[in-house]
Amino acid sequence: MASGVTVSDACKTTYEEIKKDKKHRYVIFFIKDERQIDVEVIGARDEEYDQFLQNLQAGGAGECRYGLYDFEYMHQCQGTSESSKKQKLFLMSWCPDTAKVKKKMLYSSSFDALKKSLVGVQKYIQATDLSEASQEAVEEKLRATDRQ
Amino acid sequence: MSGAVYGGDEVGALVFDIGHNTTRAGFGGEDSPKLDIPSTIGVWLDSHDDVTQKRYNIGITSINVRRSEMELTTFLKDGMVENWEIFENFLDYIYTNALRAIPNDHPLLITEPPWVTHPKREQLTELMFEKYNVPALYLAKNASLAAFANGRPTCLVVDSGATHTSAVPVHDGFVLTQAVVKSPAGGDYLSAQCRNYLNEKGIEIVPPCMVASKEITKSEEAANFKRRVYQAKLTDSWHNYMVRQVMQDFQASVLQVSDNLYDEEVVKTMPAIHYEFPNGFHKDFGVERFKIPEPLFNPVAGIKSGIQPTLGVGPLVTTSVGMCDIDIRPAMYGSVVVTGGNSNLQGFTERLNRDLAAKTPPSMRLKIISAPGATERKFGAWSGGSILTSLGSFQQLWVSKQEYDDGGKAIVQSKCL
Repeated sequence: MASGVTVSDACKTTYEEIKKDKKHRYVIFFIKDERQIDVEVIGARDEEYDQFLQNLQAGGAGECRYGLYDFEYMHQCQGTSESSKKQKLFLMSWCPDTAKVKKKMLYSSSFDALKKSLVGVQKYIQATDLSEASQEAVEEKLRATDRQ
Repeated sequence: MSGAVYGGDEVGALVFDIGHNTTRAGFGGEDSPKLDIPSTIGVWLDSHDDVTQKRYNIGITSINVRRSEMELTTFLKDGMVENWEIFENFLDYIYTNALRAIPNDHPLLITEPPWVTHPKREQLTELMFEKYNVPALYLAKNASLAAFANGRPTCLVVDSGATHTSAVPVHDGFVLTQAVVKSPAGGDYLSAQCRNYLNEKGIEIVPPCMVASKEITKSEEAANFKRRVYQAKLTDSWHNYMVRQVMQDFQASVLQVSDNLYDEEVVKTMPAIHYEFPNGFHKDFGVERFKIPEPLFNPVAGIKSGIQPTLGVGPLVTTSVGMCDIDIRPAMYGSVVVTGGNSNLQGFTERLNRDLAAKTPPSMRLKIISAPGATERKFGAWSGGSILTSLGSFQQLWVSKQEYDDGGKAIVQSKCL
């Protein structure tokens, strides 16, 4: 079951710019007029995770958002002496518990449409509070599928 | 066609959420349903004018009427419509008497249980389009609606209703039907347990309508009241329903689930609750408060009578998660959504949290999500449906009358997943 909300072309082009050209660090999406998912904020390449979180919550406690982030971390494979840099894209739905039911409903039922149009995202994360959206929690989730 | 005709936001869709205890109905886009009436219906034979006719009493006032030979019954079985004749009368009542809406004017969203069968869905579709002529229809799984309303398209919905408690995995808004686990222990089961317990203790449950007058008595002293006698020949099913109403009140005010596995020594230290029955008998309930609901979580602790659940709520969840694909198991434990009227029982979520915390694999996080208010849980699926139908973007998803005419009733299987 889905809500029928569509994804704008701007979302797809910005996504490609991150995935292929590595032009930006992150992007925040929102649903415009309850009809279409559109780009709200584009984060420069040198911005930190904290700024991503801030922008994600910029709408206040009653708002939901989607966020896509190009996450980098160091990972050491078993049997190797050096750790290497890894890059993973994750897509997060941010639906705080304090948001109105209508917002939660709209964003959660439209998440699938966004998932389908952004091909190649490694991890999907549903977050309702900071314990799930923090850098540590996200890193843990991304590492969970790495080989030790 | 559907997209063009129902393109506007103001379509005035109707939302029906049919449950075993009550049915919720109202207009999409509103915060709460206009109507919350019992799904129990009175059936009696009218032999007026030499012609015997079946009559139906529907709605909270008319089923409480003391009418001779009126049997109270329901049209549901396992959450699905079983008796279509009564169901049609029930719909007529909702449309004409309660909502005063013309079926032809409003698209309709009906909720259905996750284990609904194909023939039932098709039959419902046929009925709505052929008899009621609805312009558009959508059948939505109540678990998906509850999941969306809690902001989690991927989660495990624990729905504790009147006749059963179920664990339903939802992934991206789709119900994973093969991994649904349910047990017949719900609110009605607890009512039966309470009734058995009180009977054993020799406490008679007299519904309020049977009490003519009562005197104040001391605690635990036999009730001193005058029984009202009716000329009408009341049926057992009617009497049972009246008793059940008393039991539901008793359940809501007295029962509590103990935090840990039931232990008489621990429970004894908990405060007792005073309850007065309609006939004036009143006493303190201490240990019983915890003992009666315990089988819900720990079936072996059951007071040995009536049906026994085989699985407690905790194992229900773990079994269901175990049947899911290994990749989504962490996501399931990470968002357990609790809903349904029976989950309003005091201590329900706390106990579930403890039971699950002990069983969740150490590599996974456990998080239980539940709407804070009692009404939000009771109307969880309804309000989800209400919001969904009010979204402008949802309007293209309806099964329209024309699509039905072109594709036949099987179209619901492909359009309403």
